[in-house]
Amino acid sequence: MNVNPVVYGVLFVFLAPVFGGLLAGMDRIISARMQSRVGPPLLQPFYDLGKLLQKNARQVNPIAEPLLLGHVGFMAATGAMLLGGTDLVFTAFVLALAALFLVLAAGSVNSPYSHAGAERELIVLLASEPFFILMLAAICKVSGASTFGGVLASPVWVAWQLPGMLLAFSFVATIKLRKSPFDISTSHHAHQELVSGLTSDMSGRLLAYVEMAHWYESAILAAFVVLFFNWAWPLGLGVFAVAYLLEILVDNSTSRAKWQLVLRSSWAVTLLLSGGNVLALFLLK
Amino acid sequence: MSSLIMFLVAFPLAAGALLLAIKNGRLRNVVVVAAAVVVASASVATAVTFGNGEAVFFGLPFDLPASLTLGRLLLVAELAIGAFVIVVSIQNRRILAPLLVGGQIAISLYLEISGKLPEFDLSRLFWFDKLSMIMVLIIGIIGTLICVHSLGYMRDYHRSNPLIKGRRTVFFALLFIFLSAMFGLVTCNYLPAMLVFWEITTLCSFLLIGYTRTKETIGYAFDALNMNMLGGLGFSLAILLLVNGNQTLDLAELTAHAAPAVLMPALALLCLAGLTKSAQMPFSSWLLGAMYAPSPTSALLHSSTMVKAGVFLLLRLSPAIAGSNLGTLVAFTGMLTFLFVSLVAVTEQNTKKVLAYSTIGSLGLIVGCAGLGSPELIWVGMMIIIFHAIAKGLLFLVVGTIENRLYSKDMENFDTLLSRLPKVSALALTGIAGMFIAPFGIVVAKWAAIRAFLEIPGWQGAALLVIMAFGSSLTIFYWGKLLIKVLSMKCVDDAELAIEKRVSRFEWLAEGTLAAGVVAVAASLGVISDKVVGPQALATFAGTSRAFLNIEPAMLVSMIVAVLFLPVLAVWASRQRNWCDEADFYAAGRTTSPDRTMGAALGQTRSVTLRNYYLEGVVNGALVFRAGTVICGAILVALIAVGMVGR
Repeated sequence: MNVNPVVYGVLFVFLAPVFGGLLAGMDRIISARMQSRVGPPLLQPFYDLGKLLQKNARQVNPIAEPLLLGHVGFMAATGAMLLGGTDLVFTAFVLALAALFLVLAAGSVNSPYSHAGAERELIVLLASEPFFILMLAAICKVSGASTFGGVLASPVWVAWQLPGMLLAFSFVATIKLRKSPFDISTSHHAHQELVSGLTSDMSGRLLAYVEMAHWYESAILAAFVVLFFNWAWPLGLGVFAVAYLLEILVDNSTSRAKWQLVLRSSWAVTLLLSGGNVLALFLLK
Repeated sequence: MSSLIMFLVAFPLAAGALLLAIKNGRLRNVVVVAAAVVVASASVATAVTFGNGEAVFFGLPFDLPASLTLGRLLLVAELAIGAFVIVVSIQNRRILAPLLVGGQIAISLYLEISGKLPEFDLSRLFWFDKLSMIMVLIIGIIGTLICVHSLGYMRDYHRSNPLIKGRRTVFFALLFIFLSAMFGLVTCNYLPAMLVFWEITTLCSFLLIGYTRTKETIGYAFDALNMNMLGGLGFSLAILLLVNGNQTLDLAELTAHAAPAVLMPALALLCLAGLTKSAQMPFSSWLLGAMYAPSPTSALLHSSTMVKAGVFLLLRLSPAIAGSNLGTLVAFTGMLTFLFVSLVAVTEQNTKKVLAYSTIGSLGLIVGCAGLGSPELIWVGMMIIIFHAIAKGLLFLVVGTIENRLYSKDMENFDTLLSRLPKVSALALTGIAGMFIAPFGIVVAKWAAIRAFLEIPGWQGAALLVIMAFGSSLTIFYWGKLLIKVLSMKCVDDAELAIEKRVSRFEWLAEGTLAAGVVAVAASLGVISDKVVGPQALATFAGTSRAFLNIEPAMLVSMIVAVLFLPVLAVWASRQRNWCDEADFYAAGRTTSPDRTMGAALGQTRSVTLRNYYLEGVVNGALVFRAGTVICGAILVALIAVGMVGR
């Protein structure tokens, strides 16, 4: 059966928030169990989102809200393009643009906490973007394809050829998901030195947009994992689930690192594991 | 065709001479605007006449008198340039520049007197193809817009710097003489003639950097002169080697095919010239010093056109050096320069210097493409030339306008720019969008470059990918910081808003047209690729045929949306006033107000200062710059050595 990839792109826009929301719900339950609490119902993130959307947003300035809409919009577009058959390397650039809009929204407001959060989110971008470009380029190289569907149809088992890249992914994804110890730009826990960082001045529906975009982002990361396990995509989702469990464990058992460490370590990991993997790939092929 | 090119060279030269005599400001405004209109129209007419044609060669539209050979004409020009350099150097007690120019003169005199210079077929004096066409349009349209912009900028510049002696007659004369030389440079096919135009642009750059005649700027001017003269000496030596080896001085013939070993020494020296002109490491420092020149100079010479002459030459040489060790070394010089200057740029606070680093980096990408040489990469190189010329030219002009309003080039002082200078901000945002916001412009080029790198076998391909991944992520960081400053908002009163009203109409005209140009280029990306850049890239490598990026209508729409999103949003947001009554911000419980102040102890009010991160403690900019200079310097030595042994 031949389905036009654009259909998958459209499906992503509607289904990714469901995926991301459920993931956030499970995250909260599992985190609660690790802390000997019962935790909220699975669907609590959706209830929260509904509540946020109904509330009045405090207007901090006229530009923050459109920028956040741009953030959600480009995040959804990144996923749609990824599944809809756009060139994989190109989506790495669009993903960075989507993330940049959150930085700009948080940087436009006057709160020092928000501004510091914006700067640190920019560092998160700087720490993770080289990896994503390398990863998608390497996936294209080994599979000989340039689109999501093409990689899934490729006979090559991507993960076998990119073990270093996969290892680096688990590291960089922690940064991208803003999980501790790399939650330098924001946090759900208000006791950190940044309060809640780049969301400090966001309330009501503005906060809902940030949450929505985060759900899209989680779904995009899951799709990236699927690319590695292209011979059996349910396996990819399974690996993503296991990795996410580990992320929750790490999140609950570590304290926040300084931004210097985040930047240095992620660059080192990208250079050694991903760069090394790419080098081996080019030399051996 | 040949008359048009002659006109493009001769008319700005005449206009420049005329401007030298005009002291009256109003009359100068009229002459500059009129000359700009004529030059821009003539460049468009040239492009239209050329149409969609194949590359053409032609000579002068008139015969030279028998006593005046081309060789003698060029020698006179070179002696004049040399004499000028020597006199200025003696006045300022400099020794290096006279030595370098002396070497060049000695070579030229030797070639002329010994009679070794071979007879050149005058009907092939000029070479016009789609690459020349792109350059002619950039010089003719963007170049003249910058001249018009200068009318407003220089007035304000001297108002805000009353201690600097105004020499505006010389300034405008030099701009037009420069345009004339650039037109010659990009259409010339005879290497010795190209060298003369090359040296004239070096001289214009030298004089414009030293415009204020302070000790500091004179030092920077001589830095630029020395490095470019070194490149010029390399160019002369290349000509000498070609003549001694009985090789052609016809650029098109020289670069028609992959070069045999016998040509490599000369090609290596020509590459050296290209690398100095486009300020690649280890020669990057001159372009940073050049940022002390008035901003239109930075826009015209040091981003849109003159530095492009370097990459123009390298793109011309590309088919000859591609696939050789020389080509690979050139490519790595460019790509490493891109990586190093991007890393330095994240630590830089002076906006003009950030733009300069970004310029050097973009040129580095083009150098990388030219050195590796494939139709795809030539496509990328030309695309970057177009986008960069228009977007970066605009950005330099806007920063110049901001500088004359805020009396600062420091990025930190651009805070809340959107509220203070809303229209200027919208223009700045258009420029930034044109430079780097996906999926427009340079991002498309970077993407295409990555695709091409994937095809390069061995460690080179892997290294290029890693360099590109890190370099392009670094660009997000410094553009992001600039965007944060431009897009942040506070509530301002009418007095603060009045500052923007003093921007001259010349500046609005030039910046507005360039901003419209950014959008127009985005909208016509597909056409530019299909009709101009694609065919040229294929013609550069004879016998290849490949399909380039397929730009779909949906992609086009998304590009226009991406480019317009921020500027339109900025204009809309800056007009909102109602939010000022209610908006406070979170400052750990202090009382705050939307004019960016917060309550402090004892009932005082303090203003809040928000600053960007410059990665102190992780990236040491000065150290990175030195490391890059040393590493690329080593590559340069290897490059010359490899060229000399002809491998």
